[in-house]
Amino acid sequence: MDEILAIFLKEWRTELRARNGLFVSFTFSLLSVVAMGFACSIRTPSGSLGAGLFCLTLLFAAVVSLPRTFLSEEDQGTFELLRTLADPGAAFTGKMLFATLLMLLTGALLGVLFPILTGLEVKQLDLYIVAIVVECLALGSAVSLCGALVLGSPNRWVVVGVLALPLLIPQLAMAIGAFRAALGDGFVAAGWQNVAGLGGYALASVASGPSLVGAVWRRGG
Amino acid sequence: MRRLMLAAAITASTVLYFLVPDAAGAWTRPDLARMLFFHLPCAFAATLFLIAMSWFGWRYLSTRRLEWDARLEAATEVGLLFASLTMVTGILFSQVQWNAWWNWDPRQTSFLLVLLLMGASVALRGALPDEHRRASACSAYAMATLLPSIFLLFVYPRLPTTYSLHPSTTITNGELVGIYRYSPILIGLVILWFGIVAYRSKVKAVLLEKEFITHVGPLESDLDPAPPARVGRAVRVSSDGGPEG
Repeated sequence: MDEILAIFLKEWRTELRARNGLFVSFTFSLLSVVAMGFACSIRTPSGSLGAGLFCLTLLFAAVVSLPRTFLSEEDQGTFELLRTLADPGAAFTGKMLFATLLMLLTGALLGVLFPILTGLEVKQLDLYIVAIVVECLALGSAVSLCGALVLGSPNRWVVVGVLALPLLIPQLAMAIGAFRAALGDGFVAAGWQNVAGLGGYALASVASGPSLVGAVWRRGG
Repeated sequence: MRRLMLAAAITASTVLYFLVPDAAGAWTRPDLARMLFFHLPCAFAATLFLIAMSWFGWRYLSTRRLEWDARLEAATEVGLLFASLTMVTGILFSQVQWNAWWNWDPRQTSFLLVLLLMGASVALRGALPDEHRRASACSAYAMATLLPSIFLLFVYPRLPTTYSLHPSTTITNGELVGIYRYSPILIGLVILWFGIVAYRSKVKAVLLEKEFITHVGPLESDLDPAPPARVGRAVRVSSDGGPEG
C-alpha cells in the first residue's frame, strides 16, 4: 500500500511540476467539445447522438493523455529503474490510480462543458454524474493496461491506440446507453442497468490490471 | 497421408456444397443460402481460437515457456484467418439475403470488433522487438481481451435493447431441416480439421524459427535494412579528364 501511495504521489508531484498531462488532456477535451459545439450550433442533437459524441470525446481524451504516465518512463529511460525498485503490481496500481484521477478531472470538465456547448439538457443529473465517474474509472484502468503493455515498442504511441480502441468499445456501448438515458432519450432503468454493467467492467479491469501487468513486468517481461 | 486426407475432405465439402439443393423457406436467394455451410463453422472456429488465445496467454504467464507463446502466435493468426473469412462470407450473405453489404447488425458489428481485437494482438506482436517482453505483453493482452470478447460474442447480441437480423434460435429450434441441418456440421468438422492442421504447422514453424535464431542468428528478414546507397553528384568533366572549373 505504501508503494502504491509513493508511486501515486510521485506521479502527482511530477504532474504539478510540469502540468503536461492535465494540459494535454484539458486542451484536447476543450478542442473536441468546441468542435462538437460548432457542429451542433444549428440544431441541438438528440440524446442518443449527444451520448455518442460525449463518449467519443471521453474515449479520445483518454487514449491521447492517459498512456503518458507509462510511456514517459520509457522515454526518460527510468522504466527499468522503477521496475527494479518497486513491486511491479504496486507500480502499475499507483500509475493507474493517477491516470484514473486525471481522467476523472477531464471527465468533470467535459461533463460541464458538453451540455453547455451543445445545448443538450441533462434530464437525469444523478445518472449523468455516476455514469461519468464509472466511465472514467473504466477508461483509466483499461488504457493504463494498454499503456503498460506497449512499453519497449519503438512506436508505442501509435500501438497503444491500436490496442486500446477495440478493448474499449464494449464499455463505450454501455456508457452510451447510460448517457442516452441521462440526456432524456430512453428509459432511466436501462440507463442504470448500463451503469451497473459498466461498473462490473471497470471492476474487472481494475482487479485484473495489476496482476496482469505485474506478471508481464516481473520476470523476463 | 493426413494432408492427402484433408485435401480429399476439402474437395468432398466443395462437391457437397454444389450438390445440395436450394433451401426451402423464406430466403431472398434460396440458391445462396448454402453460404451458411462456410459462414457458420468459420465463426465457431474463430471463437474457439479466440478462447484458446486466452488459455495460451495464461499458460505462458504461468510457466514462461516460449512454446506457449508460439501456440499463442499460431492461434492468433489462424483465429484471425477464420474471423476474416467469417466477415467476408457474412458480408456477402448480408448483401444477397438482406440487400445490404453492411447494416450494423449487432452480430456483424461485434464480430468486426473481435476481428479488431485479433488484429491488435498481431500489431502488438509486431511492435515489440524483445522476445520475452513480446511474449509477456501478447499473453497479457490475450487474457485482457477475453472479457470484451465474451461480452461482444455472447452478451451484446442478446441484449433486449438490440435487434439482430441474425436469428439466434434457428439451430436450437431445429429450423434448419434435412441436409441443411447436417451439411454445416460436416463442413464445419472439415474446416476445424483444416484449422488445427494450419495451427500445428504454424506452431512448428515458429518453434523452428526460434531454434534457428538461438543457434544460428537472426533471420535475414529481422536484420536492419541495407544502408541507403551513397548519393552521387554529377560533375562535369573537361576534355583533359579532370573536373571542370
